[in-house]
Amino acid sequence: MSVLGRLNRGETNINFVKWWKRGLVLSGLLMLISVVSLTTRGLNLGIDFEGGVSWEVQAPGVSVDEARDSLGTVGEGAAKIQIVGTDILRVQGPEASVEHVAEVRQNLAELAETDVANVSVSTVGASWGSDITASAIRALIVFLIAIMIYLTIRLELRMALAAIVAVVHDVLISVGVYSVFQFEVTPGTVIAFLTILGYSIYDTIVVDDKIKENERLVGMTGRMSYTQMASLSMNQVLLRSLNTTISSLLPVLSLLVVGAFIMGAVTLEEFSVALTIGLVVGAYSSIFVATPVLVFLKERQPKIRTIRERLEAQGLSTTATPERLVEARANTANVAPEGNSSTAAPKPSSAPTASGAIPPRPRKKTRKR
Amino acid sequence: MKRFRGYGTLLTVVFVAAAALIYTLTAGNKPLLGLDLQGGVSVVLKPTGAVESDTLDQAITIIRQRIDSLGVAEPEITRQGDNILIQIPGVKDKDRAIALVGQTAELQFRPVLGTIPVTEPVEETTTTSTPASTDTTVVADPTASTVAPAETTTTIEPVTTTTAPANGGYSNQTCIDGVTDEQSNPTGQALLPECQDGILVATYAVGPVSLTGSALETARATLQNGQWTVSPTFKGGADGIGLFNGVAAQCFSKASTCPSGQLAIVLDGRVLSAPTIQQASFQADQIQISGSFKERDAKDLATALKYGALPVELEQQQAQIVSATLGQDALHAGLVAGLVGLIAVSIYMMAFYRVLGLFAILKLVIEGALLWSVISWLGTNNGLALTLAGITGIIVSIGVSLDSNVVYYEHLKEDINNGRSMRSATDKSFVSAFSTIVKADVASLIGAGLLWWLTVGPVRGFAFYLALSTLLDLLMSWAYMRPVVKFVTKSRWFGHSKLLGLPAERPQPVRGRNTAPVSAATEEANR
Repeated sequence: MSVLGRLNRGETNINFVKWWKRGLVLSGLLMLISVVSLTTRGLNLGIDFEGGVSWEVQAPGVSVDEARDSLGTVGEGAAKIQIVGTDILRVQGPEASVEHVAEVRQNLAELAETDVANVSVSTVGASWGSDITASAIRALIVFLIAIMIYLTIRLELRMALAAIVAVVHDVLISVGVYSVFQFEVTPGTVIAFLTILGYSIYDTIVVDDKIKENERLVGMTGRMSYTQMASLSMNQVLLRSLNTTISSLLPVLSLLVVGAFIMGAVTLEEFSVALTIGLVVGAYSSIFVATPVLVFLKERQPKIRTIRERLEAQGLSTTATPERLVEARANTANVAPEGNSSTAAPKPSSAPTASGAIPPRPRKKTRKR
Repeated sequence: MKRFRGYGTLLTVVFVAAAALIYTLTAGNKPLLGLDLQGGVSVVLKPTGAVESDTLDQAITIIRQRIDSLGVAEPEITRQGDNILIQIPGVKDKDRAIALVGQTAELQFRPVLGTIPVTEPVEETTTTSTPASTDTTVVADPTASTVAPAETTTTIEPVTTTTAPANGGYSNQTCIDGVTDEQSNPTGQALLPECQDGILVATYAVGPVSLTGSALETARATLQNGQWTVSPTFKGGADGIGLFNGVAAQCFSKASTCPSGQLAIVLDGRVLSAPTIQQASFQADQIQISGSFKERDAKDLATALKYGALPVELEQQQAQIVSATLGQDALHAGLVAGLVGLIAVSIYMMAFYRVLGLFAILKLVIEGALLWSVISWLGTNNGLALTLAGITGIIVSIGVSLDSNVVYYEHLKEDINNGRSMRSATDKSFVSAFSTIVKADVASLIGAGLLWWLTVGPVRGFAFYLALSTLLDLLMSWAYMRPVVKFVTKSRWFGHSKLLGLPAERPQPVRGRNTAPVSAATEEANR
């Protein structure tokens, strides 16, 4: 059976334990680079954060040097001049008087051989950017707390914690990319960063739901550790994660390639670069960050640890993909719970006994056909 | 076979979507484009200190009235936290609009020490008479006056003219830029310009501020005996009319603090009018400023007197002038990119899920029709504009919608792979998949809600449309996706697993748990 075919059937047999270790190294490295870059290089903040004036005009065929020469006559020779999109001339300077702003506007209109009305101007006070940043950070913190509470109620505390770790990982790396490549950060970028949170949570929920559904495999046969179950769940959920990512990524890529690169809409570029990075990182982190963190947390739970110790005592591997995996998979389907898997799943209610015995296999619910 | 009730919701959704679309088209509702798409002016103002909510609302009312006086179409003034966001789409005179809403300074009354007329005619070389407003007078309202004798209205004091070079150093540009705080020097003497339509008409030497706009109750412009006059009404008591009468007495007697007998009305460092005080004492509601006002001048002055002083000092945080062409280009690019993205994702879905993919795209179409109707309705009736950030939110939501389908379809595939019949898997998978969808969508909604609540400006538009389309997705997943997949898997035409992109049903019965898919098990084990 081809790899794709098996992927399609959710029958891949990847030992994720191995990959998680590699993933953690990669994530750690990326986060380290992000932190180092953020502390040494910082972010390339747009005028919306620094305060200043930005002029934009469609000026086909005008080069940056021509613009600089022309703007020199109105004292903006030192301004930051860029061609953004295909033919939009963007000039950015420090805060200036209304008179000066109008003067430059006129100059640019003449340069671009167009009407003054076609020159866009954005004037930003110095405190505006810090306001946006402050409100975004406040939104981020409240969001994390709210999501944490929500996921604790709907799933469980450890999953919520793992999801938050993944979200922080995603945002840190996305912001890190902006720092490393010195992409300009605009309010649009901030929106995109906030959206990344949503994507990341979405992917993590899809993965966590599957783990929750499979949770009863741990201890049921006494043959599978939590780690192995999580790895099995990853195999089952891999295509789902890939497809949700691709179906989200295609429209965003279209914004980036068609909207921003081909048609030159600058604002779209601001959104879509961050969204693209965030989507990819978010999909990766749901499998390679959220899940190992969850496994790490779960394996410290007494009951789960007992199961692992028992398996180890029997001389069975607790990390390798169990050969009974396929059999177990069949069991998953057969005991598939009715209704909401997270509530219908038989919770291990009995605490581990002092002797370290595995709690009795939970009674299966009567199947409805 | 029991009749499946879910088709009712399917029919309802399709019917509602079609009806909404037809209504939108026949009623001519169209989305209201944000000014980043159609061009216009956007200003964000923020109070300099902490303010009460009421005060801010009051300030918004004043700003709204000012903008309405410009006569522009559909200005949108909203409060976001402590910020006031003003959006004026498609304004012609953009700079004037920004100046007008930014006009946040206090209205001041200052005694005139001397006047410097414009030494060289600035615009019209043929001007022979002095500009109108220098010879305005303040008199008691003759129609209701009990204090002022009638003859005082006829005495018009000649304007004191002092010769000073170069208009006090001001030019027409001063009218556009205004004077600096240092130049306006509220506690001492200052030179202030008077402007008409951006042209400098006189420069006044004025004394310290005697009273501010807070002493005023209201003001109105009236037509009396064919002449436009402005009637301010002061507040009663020592802080209102008391203050005014104090300075009026000084000016009337031409004391050293007010040698010219004129009292300048100053707004934002510019002299609006410098009427001559005609009597020592006034009643709070019987004051008239007369002169050769044109109707517009009188109304502008009344407006400035009435609303000149905002109850709070506002600082301009951000001002944007968006050119219409750049806006339209952005809209165009957004639409084309959205369409291309839609086509790309349609091809992907159909390649992967065949007929089920087609129905996922149909779901998008129905959602699109509903979304378009809602956006158009909000744009027409609530003035809620669709911004580029909003369009991005919608394009992002294409992914959100398809994610739900992917989650369901993959669950379906898995269950069938595990030996369920297609029919039983269709129902069972929906329950689990919908539970996942609800969890994920609610998380998105929490995020969007918080963004809306905690942020300002474009982020809000994005959050709104993301939340709207997420809600739609929840509704459609339940009301459309479930019955449609049920229909398709039962159908004779489509019920073929190849057409659905689903794996073939496995022959063994679900019940035989222990003997389950032996072939697959051995296959895996043999590898």
